[in-house]
Amino acid sequence: MLLPIPLLGLVIGVLIGISMPYVFPVGYSTYVGIAILACADSVLGGIKSSLHGQFQLNVFLSGFIGNAILAMGLVYLGEKLNLSLYIAAIVVFGSRFFQNFAEIRRFLLNRGEKKDKIHSEENVEKGK
Amino acid sequence: MKEKFYATIPVTVLCVLLGLMIGVQYNTVRQQQQTADSASLQRVSELTTKLTTLQAENEALQTQLETQSQQMKEFEAALVADDSDFEALTKENERLKMIAGMTAVQGRGVSVTINDSKTSDEAASSANPDAFLVHAEDILSIINELNVAGAEAISINGQRIISQSAIRCAGSVVNVNDVKIAAPFVITAIGDPDLLEAALVFPGGVVDTLRPWGIEIIIMKLDTLEIPAYNQVREFREATSSKE
Repeated sequence: MLLPIPLLGLVIGVLIGISMPYVFPVGYSTYVGIAILACADSVLGGIKSSLHGQFQLNVFLSGFIGNAILAMGLVYLGEKLNLSLYIAAIVVFGSRFFQNFAEIRRFLLNRGEKKDKIHSEENVEKGK
Repeated sequence: MKEKFYATIPVTVLCVLLGLMIGVQYNTVRQQQQTADSASLQRVSELTTKLTTLQAENEALQTQLETQSQQMKEFEAALVADDSDFEALTKENERLKMIAGMTAVQGRGVSVTINDSKTSDEAASSANPDAFLVHAEDILSIINELNVAGAEAISINGQRIISQSAIRCAGSVVNVNDVKIAAPFVITAIGDPDLLEAALVFPGGVVDTLRPWGIEIIIMKLDTLEIPAYNQVREFREATSSKE
């Protein structure tokens, strides 16, 4: 119920984005890339927490905005220091990607197993 | 269940935003690649057209120059026929022109053919590949040696070397008198053939320094060779002759 709607939104967003005539200014490629990562990280985190029943809108939004600003700040600082600081953001977001995905995956898989168990227990009881 | 819907809306909104950014960024990257590709292609074709027009222009000017110098010769011949006093002046003029390199000359001399190293590519790629090519500096040192040995006229691939000639590296080719020439370079020099050859071939000489890199150098002594005149117009914008 929950997962297909954001996925549909993502697909619609990509289609709209591709069909739009706008492009980002040349110099901001790294910033946009980091923004995409921050956004994707927040989406996965939001899905994870909602699956756990811990979703809070203020945490979600502040996390998204804060992460994005922090990541952009890292890119900016890296440019000023001639240091590839944005790699730090990429590594953190990238590893969180897999972590969140793994949790979502396990949650969904385990949910299926639990149902089966319940059913089997019920069946056993019925059988008795 | 209610909480799930509560989460769905902001997550979906963010997903749409994420998709938008991905889409626009995809367009941006694609456009950048396209412009990079088309820019280089456009530049090549642009430069090619420019080159052809300039070459045509160059040829036209060359013919014009030839006809006019022909006319000048005719005038001079006519004057000599009229006036015997003028003959001395004409001779002096001829001598000065020879010094300046403005007339074609002929005589004994040598022709030096140098070509890039034919050493196999793996050798060239393993070491410094530049060392296997003929450079403007190599040509300059050969010309210098020839001048030391008393060369009276020198040309490279038909370009007469005069006092103001420049020999300069221009990427894969060499500019001589602002004309691009490429390997193999044929340097012809009029002078005593034995002296000219000796100036190049001696232990530690120019040939010795270039041969180890596999650069081909062929020196031929010739009884007659012709060296063309300097075929461009020299103007003096700053210099005037100072009268004492």
